[in-house]
Amino acid sequence: MVRDPFRAWKVALWVYAGTFFFVLYAPLVTIAVLSFNESEITGFPIAAFSLRWYRAVLGNPVLLAAFWHSVVVGVATALVATALALGLALAFRHDFRGKGVLLNLVLVPLVIPGIIGGIVLLIFFGYAEVRSSLMSTVLVAHVNWVLPFAFLTLYPRVHRFDQTLEEAAMDLGAHPRQIFLRIVLPIIRPGIIATALFSFSLSFDEFIRTVFVVGEERTVPVQFWTMIVDRLAPELPAMAVVIILISMAVALLGFTYANRADGAGS
Amino acid sequence: MNGPAVKPIGKPWLLASPAVLWLVVFGLAPLVFMVAMSFWKSTIFGTRPDFQLGNYARQLSEPLYGTLMLKSLRIATASTLLALVVSYPIAYFMTRLRGVWKSVFIIGLFMPFWTSYVVRTFVWLPILGRAGAINTALMWLGIIDRPIDWLIYNEGTIYLGLVYVYTLFMVLPIYLSLDRIDPRLIEAAVDLGARPWSVFWRILLPLSWPGVLSGCIMVFLLGIGAYVTPRLLGGPSGIMYGNMIADQFLSNNNWAFGAALGTTLALVVVILLLITGRWIGIRQVFTGGRF
Repeated sequence: MVRDPFRAWKVALWVYAGTFFFVLYAPLVTIAVLSFNESEITGFPIAAFSLRWYRAVLGNPVLLAAFWHSVVVGVATALVATALALGLALAFRHDFRGKGVLLNLVLVPLVIPGIIGGIVLLIFFGYAEVRSSLMSTVLVAHVNWVLPFAFLTLYPRVHRFDQTLEEAAMDLGAHPRQIFLRIVLPIIRPGIIATALFSFSLSFDEFIRTVFVVGEERTVPVQFWTMIVDRLAPELPAMAVVIILISMAVALLGFTYANRADGAGS
Repeated sequence: MNGPAVKPIGKPWLLASPAVLWLVVFGLAPLVFMVAMSFWKSTIFGTRPDFQLGNYARQLSEPLYGTLMLKSLRIATASTLLALVVSYPIAYFMTRLRGVWKSVFIIGLFMPFWTSYVVRTFVWLPILGRAGAINTALMWLGIIDRPIDWLIYNEGTIYLGLVYVYTLFMVLPIYLSLDRIDPRLIEAAVDLGARPWSVFWRILLPLSWPGVLSGCIMVFLLGIGAYVTPRLLGGPSGIMYGNMIADQFLSNNNWAFGAALGTTLALVVVILLLITGRWIGIRQVFTGGRF
């Protein structure tokens, strides 16, 4: 190496990346530290180390109910959104009239600000006289939000796999149903599982659409929001840590399957 | 497409029909209904069907609404540009990594963004507040002797909050477009004596332009409709357009006017997308050019 005009830049880049990741994680670490603080007031100094707020979170039926609601609607959302996205993804392997229009329709929820996605459902269900509840209005709000992501996650994995397998089965006289169940489905299964996990994760985190149509059964982010706005409850940091751990665990699992899907398919 | 002329299984419209039904009933119809309601009239007796332009006339005649729209546009634009400056080097950094390190950093980048933005906005309160981490640290170091108040509840905090919450949407598309650049292109430029700055300016930036635009559009869209960030970090005068829309439904009970404000915001977004669409296919923004 005679010269490396980029050396200083490379060092600067590493320093910058270090700073970036520090700022990204420092707030999360801070909240984790504060969650163990005995004090009634969220902040510093740390009065004493204590598991008091974790006991408060895990012993509070309202908060446990919120976790249960989020899990229930998350699973339902994942099932519905993944099923709809699978149909769409299989359809998009064909060329057909109106494909472009349909793609635009699928992408609309990504373009429309979340707050509008919430109020339109509030108005719509209000006039359709559908009472706000977890498995009606909230489920619809979540599927609306999750569906484009589910489709964009699933489509490349459905599209890319080796179609000669399908062709061979067809030449050997297999039925379309057999082809789907015994060839297509096993190959794209990791992609489907990854899509369902990401869908659950997006649903678990959804707030702005949910808050307008939530009814009695609050989800975790709505409950968390209420606790911030009402009185900055002291159990917020502990609850934040629990939420972060659940979200990250589900997302990591999703990544594992997405990786497997990409390894298997192409 | 793969060469062999094998027809994929199923009938396309049959396969798509459940999703199409869902999108039309729960996606399109409510949206159209909101636009219709924006011409209705809300009184203390409720909201009634009508066809009048009063809700739009009010937005034009009272300066509050125009001002708030401009403020929201300004905040969304500034946060977008800040996110771009913050994210570009990280996106480039990620493309330089190999093997296990690459996976570690990619997962490390994604992880925080999988947690609800309500939580990730909240975490700034005990950092920037009076009894927060920064004030406590500065006082402990003896740099200040009483907490500083201006760390939080101003427009700058909104920028910080939005960039923190949405940076991933900027890093990701830029990373994807940078990663597609043939490294030999850069090597060749360097061998021919290009300085780092001109490598960036004449190779990296032009070739990653689609990613830059995609990221900017995503972050702008997320910023313009912000509700949580201004409410938690913006302080009493920090509200944005989204907060005012929400108020019409959650406290003022003026649905028709709320619908008109919502329609206005949707229109602004669509017009901006059409303008940007001249430079980059809008679909590419959301699909990464897979279609």
